[in-house]
Amino acid sequence: MANFPWLTTVILFPIVASLLIPFIPDKDGKTVRWYSLTVGLIDFAIIVYAFCNGYDLSNPNLQLVESYTWIPQLDLKWSVGVDGLSMPLVVLTGFITTLAIMAAWPVTFKPKLFYFLMLAMYGGQIAVFAVQDMLLFFLVWELELVPVYLILSIWGGKKRLYAATKFILYTAGGSLFILIAALTMAFYGDNVTFDMSAIAAKDYSLNLQLLLYSGFLIAYGVKLPIFPLHTWLPDAHGEATAPAHMLLAGILLKMGGYALLRMNAGMLPDAHAFFAPVLVILGVVNIIYAALTSFAQRNLKRKIAYSSISHMGFVLIGIASFTDLGVSGAMLQMISHGLIGASLFFMVGATYDRTHTLMLDEMGGVGQKMKKVFAMWTTCSMASLALPGMSGFVAELMIFVGFATSDAYSNTFRIIIVSLMAVGVILTPIYLLSMLREMLYGPENKELVEHTKLVDAEPREVFIIACLLIPIIGIGLYPKIVTQVYDSTTHQLTALLRNSVPSLMQEASTASNPYNLISTTAPEVETVVNH
Amino acid sequence: MEQLYQYAWLIPVLPLLGAMLVGIGLISVNKATNNLRQIVAVFIVSIIGTAMVLSFALFWSQIHGHETYGRAIEWASAGDFHLQVGYTIDHLASLMLVIVTTVAFLVMIYTDGYMAHDPGYVRFYAYLSIFSSSMLGLVISPNLVQIYIFWELVGMCSYLLIGFWYDRKAAADACQKAFVTNRVGDFGLLLGMLGLYWATGSFDFAVVGERLEELVTSGALSAGLATLFAVLVFLGPVAKSAQFPLHVWLPDAMEGPTPISALIHAATMVAAGVFLIARIYPILESVPTAMTIIAWTGAFTAFLGASIALTQNDIKKGLAYSTMSQLGYMVMAMGLGSYSAGLFHLMTHAYFKAMLFLCSGSVIHGMEAVVGHNAVLAQDMRLMGGLRKYMPITAGTFLIGNLAICGIPPFAGFWSKDEILGQAFTANPVLWGVGWATAGLTAFYMFRMYFMTFEGEFRGNDEGIRQQLLTSAGVAFGPGAMDAEEGATHGHDESPHESPLTMALPLVLLAVPSFALGWIGRPWANYFEEFIHAPGEIVSEMGIEPFDFQEFAIMAGLSVAIATVGIIVAYLMYRAKKIDPAAIAKKYPALYRLSLNKWYFDEIYYNVFIVGCRRLARQIMEVDYRVVDGAVNLTGLATLLSGEGLKYLETGRAQFYALIVFAAVLGFVLVFSIV
Repeated sequence: MANFPWLTTVILFPIVASLLIPFIPDKDGKTVRWYSLTVGLIDFAIIVYAFCNGYDLSNPNLQLVESYTWIPQLDLKWSVGVDGLSMPLVVLTGFITTLAIMAAWPVTFKPKLFYFLMLAMYGGQIAVFAVQDMLLFFLVWELELVPVYLILSIWGGKKRLYAATKFILYTAGGSLFILIAALTMAFYGDNVTFDMSAIAAKDYSLNLQLLLYSGFLIAYGVKLPIFPLHTWLPDAHGEATAPAHMLLAGILLKMGGYALLRMNAGMLPDAHAFFAPVLVILGVVNIIYAALTSFAQRNLKRKIAYSSISHMGFVLIGIASFTDLGVSGAMLQMISHGLIGASLFFMVGATYDRTHTLMLDEMGGVGQKMKKVFAMWTTCSMASLALPGMSGFVAELMIFVGFATSDAYSNTFRIIIVSLMAVGVILTPIYLLSMLREMLYGPENKELVEHTKLVDAEPREVFIIACLLIPIIGIGLYPKIVTQVYDSTTHQLTALLRNSVPSLMQEASTASNPYNLISTTAPEVETVVNH
Repeated sequence: MEQLYQYAWLIPVLPLLGAMLVGIGLISVNKATNNLRQIVAVFIVSIIGTAMVLSFALFWSQIHGHETYGRAIEWASAGDFHLQVGYTIDHLASLMLVIVTTVAFLVMIYTDGYMAHDPGYVRFYAYLSIFSSSMLGLVISPNLVQIYIFWELVGMCSYLLIGFWYDRKAAADACQKAFVTNRVGDFGLLLGMLGLYWATGSFDFAVVGERLEELVTSGALSAGLATLFAVLVFLGPVAKSAQFPLHVWLPDAMEGPTPISALIHAATMVAAGVFLIARIYPILESVPTAMTIIAWTGAFTAFLGASIALTQNDIKKGLAYSTMSQLGYMVMAMGLGSYSAGLFHLMTHAYFKAMLFLCSGSVIHGMEAVVGHNAVLAQDMRLMGGLRKYMPITAGTFLIGNLAICGIPPFAGFWSKDEILGQAFTANPVLWGVGWATAGLTAFYMFRMYFMTFEGEFRGNDEGIRQQLLTSAGVAFGPGAMDAEEGATHGHDESPHESPLTMALPLVLLAVPSFALGWIGRPWANYFEEFIHAPGEIVSEMGIEPFDFQEFAIMAGLSVAIATVGIIVAYLMYRAKKIDPAAIAKKYPALYRLSLNKWYFDEIYYNVFIVGCRRLARQIMEVDYRVVDGAVNLTGLATLLSGEGLKYLETGRAQFYALIVFAAVLGFVLVFSIV
């Protein structure tokens, strides 16, 4: 079984299964949803089985590698493999997508097409994290946009076409930069290759690196999203249905972070040393700007969408921290936000199904009739505001400590950035708790109760939230279960990044200061910011 | 004995498991769990009882000289960073365990009576249990990170419990206010913690303290920076222990059910700030400026709280300001270096203040029988009076608590407060003066409360006062409060009644330590200080500094004298009616209004922070919508136009597109191979 093509199987199985959907005799969508759920569960089981047996945690390099020549003329290979950066995200994808299928239970409009797209997404998303060929990466990155676009534009809200078009223009526009950069990297130097590790091994001049880096940054900055490329997200979220939300927040945003780590940091480390302060500053802007915007939003979906943007700011700072802890924290924040974001958006959907409004002004006191909804909202919001004992706290703490102890930046810069990040810690409960208060607390909104029936959560909904909360709390109580999965890879990546920072290389040779107090005389990185 | 220590982690874990079990029951089989009621209560109470027995056993073993015990496991790691979690049982931890479990145990028994008719009875027990778990976890934390973890968790429990009656608007506002204010403190705690870690490379209290001292003396770390870190950490206690300027949440937190006010907002959680100062004492010792700031913050808060409590008419609000004031004493003691005195007052205060709050709950319970379930009426002392006749146990225990808090010998509060004042006098006479004057105010407002509530004639059936209160509440709280008024304003009884046994028994039990606990800290035989003293301090301090009876007599005499004056003035004003309080209020209208309106803190904070934050957020949203998004939509327009232009270039042949892309790439490569 050692040579079994596990990754190809998990990518292709849902796609092949989705092709069978049109032939299933089904009128009201009941068979199709069970079929899709079964496919999702089987695929998730295969993922878990494959990683349990074939993945070695102590090995930082690519594993479960497969490579088949696809189009020899173009040197296009079907090559897949996972390391610590992609493996947890593949598991997350399987987990969230399966739950999203379950969240899509009430979909009755064109069910066959819907579930077809969901399963196609399933395979496409895993492929994004697993492929190891630049051209292939670009292809699956583009292909996975199509189902999202269709789901948005067919099952969305009133302004769905505007939102879907905006989404596709933004992401496709961003992808153009991926294509150009990828081709440049492939054709650069003596040999033409699309293989990621071969591309990473090439020696680019610094200026080219900087240019490529900025190209990637724009592309992945759209996806993550980074201010000021974020405005597609609230629109897309504002119009999407609950399962699409879960995928958008849970997985699609993580692709940006993953690609930043894999390509920007992993392939262009010298440019990363230049760009890191920019990432940090953008990260802080993300945290504070999006938190304040979220506070002002009156629409529930847009509020949570901005909260996603705010939380992804921490990922940026972690990536740019040049410490094991920071990079590890960035990974954990992605996983953690995948779970928390999905749960919050699922709750938004569940609430909308009952109140038929997203405007906070039209709600109020809905917690009185829906006690379980109240409990689930409170727990998910607590997870989002980084309550200890839940995953978000650990991730943010790791990034805080990682950045505060980072020797790549001057003391003043660190003090300012850490203080600003901590302001985000105050702002998060302000917007989340205000939201809970206006929605669930207080006397019932009489107008709302008159024309809608507020029914408490059904077992399916409780089950989905429970599934999301178990890993959230599990990671919060004992983060090592997840961090040890990718620790060897992030450690290797950090070592690579630290090697590209001149001041850190010198420091390694000199005797290190007692404790962590860095002598202020050491040359600092961010003098480069002034360039 | 070793086994006992090995299983000490059960103390916080048991209540957590209990809460989880009940919580899962509530989510999955809601009706069945809700119908269990007293079975759940017995289950939760017996769990906390077990934890209490374990705590006493640990306490006993610590008294008998067992060395500090610690265990830890690796919790998080990345590269060469390792973070451990675990628990530490030392003198301080074991004392806190005993305080928390005993108060929690008694409050939980009391809850059965108080919440008997509430539909959220079972949920309340689950919350209580999860709070106990977090609080117990807090006191046995071995390092700053773990403290921070439980620090936030107790804050969350406080949020849930203040908002327990979440259909009330006031409760909804109060719980958010509490959480956000505490997050401001946590912001400081987090930054301070990170700063200390950056400087010393450790989160462990003793290690941080040791290395910080080394760094400061060697000059590697400037004293200013060390002070900054210490003060940032101190922001945590400032918020949690309701010290100026983050005290505003505590009075509002009284919207929660009264057992919560007793357990969380009087005895345990708010005292966690003082506990944290005690834990970081080794760190603070090397930064004297921070100690001075702490002492003055405490002293000012003590005075501020007392000055506001003078004019409060809501019995719980009055007690809340009194708690704030007493916490100020403790913080002041810690800042002056009177480690043991501060913690001694923490202990005695935990018992007598918990009892006072439970008494107020008992009073409210009795009043509700007359005026109905309306907080505006049931908690207002202007409607009470003469309750001693109807509820003798409550009145008796309240009086004991009153004498304790006023510092009348031989009640518990006398010994602890006098120790603080005595040490303040030697350290800084000005601080002593503030504390001493506050003691007089304390005696006055506490006896004002006692006389208004328990003496004189019962005024509960006076429709005139009721109407007056309802209208003023309506004006004060805006139109939202109108809904509350629709609730039953008419009870079923003519006169209040004594509370049931489950409520009266905890009162009586708490009266015992409120009366007698002070004896373990007599200045001439201070067993408490022998057991609890600052780390690094020599134990046999008494041997070096012999007890001076004359000095003690002078100090104690002065404190008792001012307390007696306070009591007499309160008697003349509210019992004998010889002095008219309204006349005094008229004479000094500015001072009266300042106190009545809580020094206008709420108004100032509302206008500066809340309105400011909302305005800023709205402006940023506008920017996002018009500028950032607007720019994008403009680009959309531009592409549309250029698309029109490109139409003539587009031939629809794929090869042509490929050619363009290829040419672009080639251009790139060419340019950069030259560079």
